[in-house]
Amino acid sequence: MTLQHVATSAPAEAEKPSVWRRIWQQDAPGYLFLLPWFIGFFGLTLGPMISSLYLSFTHFDLLTAPRWAGVDNYVRMFTNDPKFAASMRVTMFFVVFSVPLKLAFALGVALLLNRGMKGLTLYRSLFYLPSLLGASVAIAILWRQIFAADGLVNKFLSLFGIIGPSWISNPNYSLWTLIVLSIWQFGSPMIIFLAGLRQIPQDMYEAASLDGASKWRQFWKITLPLLTPVVFFNAIIQTIEAFKSFTPAFIISGGTGNPINSTLFYTLYLYQEAFGFFRMGYASALAWVLLALVAIFTAFSFLTSKYWVHYDD
Amino acid sequence: MTFRMDRRQFLMGTSALMVTGVAGISPAWAQAANMRLIFWGGQSRADRTYGVTDLFEAATGNKIEGEFLAWNDYWPKLATQTAGGNAPDIIQMDYRYIVEYAKRNAIAPLDEFVGGALKLDGFDEDQLEGGKVDGKLYGISLGANSVATLVNTVAFEEAGVEPPTNDWTLDDIMTKGEAFSKANIRNGMKMMSDGSYTEPMLDNWLRQKGLALYTAEGKLGFGADEMTEWFNLWKTFRDAGVIVAPDAQALDTGPLETTMLVSGKSALMPSNSNQLVGFQALVPDKLDMVGYPRLAAGVGGGHYRKPSMFFSVAGSSAAKEKAAEFLSFFISDPESAKILGVERGIPCLPETRDIVAPTLDEANQIALNFVANLGDLLGPLPPPPPAAAGEIDLSLLRVIGQEVAFGARTPEDAGPYFVAEATAILERAS
Amino acid sequence: MTDAPMKLTVVGAETPIWRKRLMSVVSHGLLIAASILMLYPLLWMLAASFRPENEIFTSASIIPSSWSLDAYFRGWHGLRTSFSVFFTNSFIVSTFSVIGNVFACSLAAFAFARLEFRGRRIWFALMLMTLMLPYQVTLIPQYVLFRQLGWVDTFLPLIVPKFLASDAFFIFLMVQFFRGIPRELDEAAMMDGAGPWRIYWKIMLPLSTPVLATAAIFTFIWTWDDFFGPLIYLNRMSDYTVMLGLRTFTDSTGMSDYGGLFAMSVLSIVPIFLFFLIFQRLLIEGIATTGMKR
Repeated sequence: MTLQHVATSAPAEAEKPSVWRRIWQQDAPGYLFLLPWFIGFFGLTLGPMISSLYLSFTHFDLLTAPRWAGVDNYVRMFTNDPKFAASMRVTMFFVVFSVPLKLAFALGVALLLNRGMKGLTLYRSLFYLPSLLGASVAIAILWRQIFAADGLVNKFLSLFGIIGPSWISNPNYSLWTLIVLSIWQFGSPMIIFLAGLRQIPQDMYEAASLDGASKWRQFWKITLPLLTPVVFFNAIIQTIEAFKSFTPAFIISGGTGNPINSTLFYTLYLYQEAFGFFRMGYASALAWVLLALVAIFTAFSFLTSKYWVHYDD
Repeated sequence: MTFRMDRRQFLMGTSALMVTGVAGISPAWAQAANMRLIFWGGQSRADRTYGVTDLFEAATGNKIEGEFLAWNDYWPKLATQTAGGNAPDIIQMDYRYIVEYAKRNAIAPLDEFVGGALKLDGFDEDQLEGGKVDGKLYGISLGANSVATLVNTVAFEEAGVEPPTNDWTLDDIMTKGEAFSKANIRNGMKMMSDGSYTEPMLDNWLRQKGLALYTAEGKLGFGADEMTEWFNLWKTFRDAGVIVAPDAQALDTGPLETTMLVSGKSALMPSNSNQLVGFQALVPDKLDMVGYPRLAAGVGGGHYRKPSMFFSVAGSSAAKEKAAEFLSFFISDPESAKILGVERGIPCLPETRDIVAPTLDEANQIALNFVANLGDLLGPLPPPPPAAAGEIDLSLLRVIGQEVAFGARTPEDAGPYFVAEATAILERAS
Repeated sequence: MTDAPMKLTVVGAETPIWRKRLMSVVSHGLLIAASILMLYPLLWMLAASFRPENEIFTSASIIPSSWSLDAYFRGWHGLRTSFSVFFTNSFIVSTFSVIGNVFACSLAAFAFARLEFRGRRIWFALMLMTLMLPYQVTLIPQYVLFRQLGWVDTFLPLIVPKFLASDAFFIFLMVQFFRGIPRELDEAAMMDGAGPWRIYWKIMLPLSTPVLATAAIFTFIWTWDDFFGPLIYLNRMSDYTVMLGLRTFTDSTGMSDYGGLFAMSVLSIVPIFLFFLIFQRLLIEGIATTGMKR
């Protein structure tokens, strides 16, 4: 039963209102609440989006007017651009490994922090610190302090007699250091998980405890189902963000995507094409292909969500 | 139940607009400037530059609003402003991008102002040439510099190896390098960093062979054999352990603090003469500067005096003549010269050089002496690189160079591959 | 086999004190170890801000050879405009962004989560789509748009979109949380004659403290940390935000004041950390208000 059905059904039968009146009663509240968003969407967001879609069918060098190119850009992408394929592979690898690991880490820590321990505030704050740093230049410097040949990781490994490689600058491992960086900055999904956990009514646990349900059982029967909307949100958002991931690779590789293009993220390549090589038309085409890919993934997630995401409504 | 919009809702709806009105009173509101100037660099460059704009304003009454950014931020912002029809009047331009901007009329030819607002009498001929694209003057060189090998003199002392001089050769990399490695100082420091994918180094090597990176027509100036030879040369050094290992070298992503010289992994590094000061601030050991290695004793001509950076005038500027006047002031005013020093390179007017020379500190003095005394290392100025040069450097030379260094590709394979790919990029761009 | 888990639950139900203590020690131990990992970057940055400039990249030790506050004074006035101006600007932009985002996004989220209207799914899908396009390709059209509006060189391009709910992330986030609030509550209110606005204002918002606090925290921090928007739209240094000021410290091609950079980086974290500390209390408050009967 939804709000508007309750709101409109009674008078509708009584006086048979006109079409306009029905529209006003049924649709207007929704559109009024969306008004700021509509102004923003039509006024600020949609125009640039359509422009970039148009530009994807042109050759546009930023400095002179775009020239119509038909589907040239898209054809080149799929037939004659090894870097497109390479950057797609790098990004896919990143998405597949960083998203689940980051989510698992964030959920684990959120659960740990939700147990009402002493010093909770302190820990929560400390765990959020890496995320505060954002894309600071300091991160790039720090990461090499940790993952270079003479970095912290190898100093630790040498205690066990292992001589590690220069993780961050070795093409076989460099992408992994970026995955670790992404996991290390797990603060945002953690906070969202925490907020989700806070929304679960405590009395449900109390009732379950009285029934003798173990903590483990409570987690599976109460916590996880009630948390699924938040899990769903984090999964979608983190995946979209991972596909669009730009800044970490940019600051760590100095914008090059090296060594040997092993950290050439899709958007980093797109950025190089747009601002490094003056091919904004091609970059726009790259962007819309990414959008299509992410949209398909998201639509698929929404379709499957009804089988595992539990809303209260 | 009907839905009515009450007064409170209405107010809430408009509050967004009201708030933007309030924000308008913030510091960022008025849009007024006489002329705008944009450049990349740090605060010390900005202080000097603003010193000159202040002098210019005092002398002529023309106000110049300056803006400076870090190199990586500079280019997307300039491109966005230019594309958005909001380019600053005076634009600091790099050798790499000047063709790109000139060919698209984003910067204006200055020939009509020469002799009038723009006085260039006595200006170094090679520096003037460097600012030309298709025969027209698009940029005024703000200083000359040259490629140079930076030398950590203290490390050489510790290793007990004689540091190189301007006469050093590629063979010295091997012989001195072996002695250096044997000394095993500072946790395995190598004598030299890996220059196999350093574009100016390849350029210098080709020029000594009488070839060039690019021809005047914008074609590749060498063939697959040279490229294979080049990669093999460095492979020999790498295999002998006289240069930095590939995974260490790959830590160098551009910024000074990531280089082998600053991180203490090598005692020699190819760089530019005007960067000595920046490096010296980050390294406790005393640095010196010599030329790039010669092919063999007595072979020279690889170096040239390159414009370190230009000032250009935006094609869209409404005050081109005034801007040209400022450029003239910037390179010739005696008081300005004292403020600017050699921070952007060695001044290109002899009078300005004379004013600047006595005021320099030690690191700057080294740079000035080096560029002034290149002797037989000096060769002719090459034609400006084609527009796709940046792409070839970033997405081919560095990547293929690393593939060879890490052993993912043999030099025999890399040579033809590089030439084929580079040719394709050049063709697509033209 | 079957009664083994039973035993475990029985033990779990009446855990002896020593065991609870042990668990607590282990948990804290784990958390402290993890915290050090999290803290290391900040410690390194702190050390870098106090140590001599030429030691920052060459020293292996985290302890400086000598300590000096010099970098802080140097950094604060290191640019032509002092950092107090940058901090003020960042505060203005971030604060307005928080207000705009929390308000406008919650309005839109309420519509998507609770109101029934034609086209809802399509609008929702379009809204999500705005999240998926990399900003690099809309940058120039957007710049042209803001320039036509005369907003370049002002804070407006950074603030106004927030009041127009342009960040779909927060709408989606709030939708998920609003949908977790029991329907019976608004249905009961409706029986009492409350309209959508009253339900939004009197029921949804008060019950959504955790998610609103989350949105406020993220907006503040992300706006504070953003440099690309300010980079493109702000030209005069007197309008720079802290992050843009920090970017200006390092120029990869020449002289950079790294000590000043790290000193100011440390200071730049202080306000966002304080904001986080204050607002995270609201995350906890949620527990009392949402602990209602269903």
